[in-house]
Amino acid sequence: MVTTPEGNTVKFKNVAVVGAFALTATIALAGCASSSGDSGTPSTKPSASADTYKVDPSLSGTITAGGSSAQANAEAAWAAAFTAQASGVTINYDKSQGSGGGVTNWLAGSYDFAGSDSPLNPTQVASSATTCGADGAVNLPVYLDGVAVIYNLPGVDKLNLSSEVIAKIFSLKITTWNDAAIVALNPKAKLPATAITTVTRSDGSGTTTNFTNYLSQTQPSIWTYAPSNAWPVAGSSAQQGGSGVVNTVKAGAGTIGYADHSAIGDLTSASIQAGTGKDFVSFSQEGASAAFTKAAVAVPSDVEGDLPQKLDYTKLTDKSAYPIPLISYQILCKTFKSAEQAKLTKAFVGFVASDLGQKIAAKNAGSAPIPAATLAKISKSLELIK
Amino acid sequence: MTAISSGAARKSASNGPGPIVNSLTTGQLPKFVEFYVLAGSLVVVGGVMMLLGFNLGGWIFLSAILYLVALGVLSAVAENRRRAVDRIVRSLVTIAFLLAIAPLISTLWTVTANGIGQLNWSFISQTGGAVFNPDTLKVDITTGALQAIVGTLEITGIAALMSIPIGLLTSIYLVEYARPGQPIARTVTFLVDVMTGIPSIVAGLFAFSLFTLLVGPKAFSGFSASVALSVLMIPIVVRSCEEMLRLVPGDLREASFALGVSRFATIVKVVLPTAIVGIITGITLAVARVIGETAPIFIAASFTDNFNANPFSGPMQTLPVLAYTGIKFPGQDIAASNASAWGAALLLVILVVILNIIARVVARVFAPKGAR
Amino acid sequence: MTTNPAVRSRKSSVDAPGSASASGPRSPQGGAGSARVKSRPADRIFFGLSFGSALLIMVILAAVAIFLIVQAAPAIAANWASNPDLNSGPTGGFGTFWNYVLPLIWGTLWVSFIALVLGAPVAIGIALFISHYAPRKITGILGYLIDLLAAVPSIVFGLWGIIVIRPLLLPLTDWLNHNLGFIPIFAGQASTTGSTILAGGVVLAVMILPIISSISREIFLQTPRLHEEAALALGATKWEMIRMAVFPYAKSGVVSAILLGLGRALGETMAIALIISPSIGFSLRILTEGSNSQTIAANLALNFPISNVLQREALIGTGLMLFVISLAVNFLARWIISRSNADKGSRKKRRPRAIVESAPALNGPALSASDSPVGARLGTDKPEGTPA
Repeated sequence: MVTTPEGNTVKFKNVAVVGAFALTATIALAGCASSSGDSGTPSTKPSASADTYKVDPSLSGTITAGGSSAQANAEAAWAAAFTAQASGVTINYDKSQGSGGGVTNWLAGSYDFAGSDSPLNPTQVASSATTCGADGAVNLPVYLDGVAVIYNLPGVDKLNLSSEVIAKIFSLKITTWNDAAIVALNPKAKLPATAITTVTRSDGSGTTTNFTNYLSQTQPSIWTYAPSNAWPVAGSSAQQGGSGVVNTVKAGAGTIGYADHSAIGDLTSASIQAGTGKDFVSFSQEGASAAFTKAAVAVPSDVEGDLPQKLDYTKLTDKSAYPIPLISYQILCKTFKSAEQAKLTKAFVGFVASDLGQKIAAKNAGSAPIPAATLAKISKSLELIK
Repeated sequence: MTAISSGAARKSASNGPGPIVNSLTTGQLPKFVEFYVLAGSLVVVGGVMMLLGFNLGGWIFLSAILYLVALGVLSAVAENRRRAVDRIVRSLVTIAFLLAIAPLISTLWTVTANGIGQLNWSFISQTGGAVFNPDTLKVDITTGALQAIVGTLEITGIAALMSIPIGLLTSIYLVEYARPGQPIARTVTFLVDVMTGIPSIVAGLFAFSLFTLLVGPKAFSGFSASVALSVLMIPIVVRSCEEMLRLVPGDLREASFALGVSRFATIVKVVLPTAIVGIITGITLAVARVIGETAPIFIAASFTDNFNANPFSGPMQTLPVLAYTGIKFPGQDIAASNASAWGAALLLVILVVILNIIARVVARVFAPKGAR
Repeated sequence: MTTNPAVRSRKSSVDAPGSASASGPRSPQGGAGSARVKSRPADRIFFGLSFGSALLIMVILAAVAIFLIVQAAPAIAANWASNPDLNSGPTGGFGTFWNYVLPLIWGTLWVSFIALVLGAPVAIGIALFISHYAPRKITGILGYLIDLLAAVPSIVFGLWGIIVIRPLLLPLTDWLNHNLGFIPIFAGQASTTGSTILAGGVVLAVMILPIISSISREIFLQTPRLHEEAALALGATKWEMIRMAVFPYAKSGVVSAILLGLGRALGETMAIALIISPSIGFSLRILTEGSNSQTIAANLALNFPISNVLQREALIGTGLMLFVISLAVNFLARWIISRSNADKGSRKKRRPRAIVESAPALNGPALSASDSPVGARLGTDKPEGTPA
């Protein structure tokens, strides 16, 4: 404080100025904090703590994991944020494995956790008894996204598709773009008379599982194949990896394909009809979250703390929910062989399943945050890990 | 040539006493007729295509066909059929050569054009990584190839360290010690031939299976990849060193023995220095061949983006695998991943070209005086 | 190696350069009756090392074969239809190992065949160009340029194939499909993205070019000059000279070069994996993207990371098949070389007659063997000495 010949008057003025400044700053900061706190999921915690999650900086070691490529971008962001706080930790997530490969390697003992777009199937649950011991393994839904139907039609910026038309296109029953069924949904679009080339995955993929699940549940009479991670229809342009599908659709006119939404870059994706109504929904983070809240049904499991979900597509009938959501899990044993490794992995998964972690994934990978109720359940499951 | 002069004789005979014809060039097309016909066919096809729809590839292809036909007909009429066939074959062979140069230029141009933007000091000296900004929650990906460069050097270096002594000693055995008809020598030669035919991916599988048996399920390591590369390198080293050692004149060896020098000393002090040029060239070519392998590396050493300088534990990345990963498994920023893939590919091509140049320079510099 | 008293005394008195015997320059020579040079420890060690390395190669190769067989055996023997591991994912729905691998073998051979058909004539043309048509001064540079193609890593060829070749061949694909679609290999729905066997075959052809070309070039350069000049002296054009003097000499060598190129094409992974859109089945089509037969190596590379244990063993089984196929191809190449080497002794007797027999085919009355003294000499003479 500068003392001036005016003395107290100036001091008071300075105090007033400083005080006003401080007051404004506090209001502004509180406003910022509360607005960022509200942008994600409804939370009962005070908004200031939603932006922070303390990671023990003394943690050190290596986490080895791998699996789903849908999660890959989020995993990269989570690893960067986690190691920013705990610099002694190295996280290796191998995104080349796909969901199937990730679970296989995890069952063989190579991974601390597996990233998978579907929960363990009964055979894998049985094998997990060998890997994890009697306590078994938990499937924790940590990543929420959607399957985007991407297409390349010069001059067509918006494409509306219904589940029936999608099923017919991908089972090669509709073969040209100007087919009556597509025109009926898109009266204003200039659809060419060219042939449709469907672009699909040649490798086993969780995205394929989710997509074929959607098709067989919503259109069982047209899509008669069982859901699986291998594309069942011959005659499509089969590409390796989600990036293969994206690059191929980008490069060829008249192509249509499916990929995890976080991987499509700047390609346009179609708007999907919500149920049988007149609304066509394009992907949005809120839409995916709403889809999870409405349609995710917990699958009963023998393992305490296990949270596998099943999607009931019949519940996705209004325009607030994206019709083809994709849930991706981190699968880990409840009992680790080494307590150190358990502590490290628990810390990481806890970070991933926190508000902050979900926000980081939303910002960097374009995913939707998992609703807070489920995050709370995941915290409880994590307490059982030892 | 006899054919020409007889042709000239026929021509002047049929014309009767007339203007004096130059018997050396009669019956031949003018000197640069090929260029004229080429220019003509380019123009004609270009004109036709302007009307029908222009396509660069089609233009070149159709001009080539028209050129061959026109040249053949012209030559058959003006000269004789044999000369026409000869000219056509000459043109075909030249076209074949140009067909080979085109992909070479195109490949090098594509790699350079796409990769040069990525090639700066920070790309070479940084590990690819991600930086987290806690205020904006944004993760910024930085591209870097340091982990791949270190991985390439380590894996190829260890593979070379293993293959060169084994390959060299085997070729010394085959050339210096074994008598040609001996069953062991014949078997080894035959097996080396078989080894040259092993597909690279089978070598990777072998290394992976071996280490799974020895170490257990988490068997990915740089050393495993080195073993796979050695299986590919050894037969190349053996073959080329064997050729080089056989080229050393027997007189040198016999002179050395005649002076009472032991066999070991003869080999080490006489034969090897004489053949050293070819041996180094062969080794360099073997290294250049395996440094670009992708499939054995990711089967034996898995995928990773992290920096790992320990070849005996944990996955390692090499330049070709970085290029493959950048295209097949891009991150959130697809353009940046693709760019780093091209940068890695360009680095790899530069490395291989340098190795090739070293091989040639060594061959020139170390050649024994007067031997080449 | 017999010792000679003169040599012995010279050895003990003169320090021969390069003699690094461990026992010193004045090693005991033994009695006058010793007929062998004593083998020194260094000799024995070195011999042991060399012999050991040779044995190691045998061990390595045996290990490769054994490991592959042992790892693949469970998957080959298992009943695929009833095994849930093998009946899902990349190996699902095939019934037996052979149903899975036979289409892959077909795909491997088919793609390599296309690459050979496209690449071998061009490679031989290049070799001819460099050995016979190009100016002498630049043959070294040209050879180096072609060898540079061999140095480019296969991943770079794969990337180049995606960016350059796939779009480049699209117009051709369309044209062939529209106009010649009745031919089975051009039938089917034309690809819009270019991930066709044609594109893969073209890139593979570029990759095997340098192998075939450099070996053929060496063989063409070794044609005896006297034969070539004899043909030219008889009035043959350059092409006829090549046909008469070079090709018969080089035939078996060129065939083995082609087989070596085939061996490389069979094992190529990256280019195929990046370029072709695969499916497992017997297909002749080269212009589509839905019915492309897949190759063993590319299938292995694509599916290995995502396979479970039994599926990995099945893939190793396909790798074993690939190994056997490339072994067979290599055998064929070596057998042809060895047959040609055995024939070389009799070839010298055959060739002059070949030139003379086709001499009447050359136009001009003055050229028949009976008239020309040169021809008569060549026809009746036994060749003496070796042509350079």
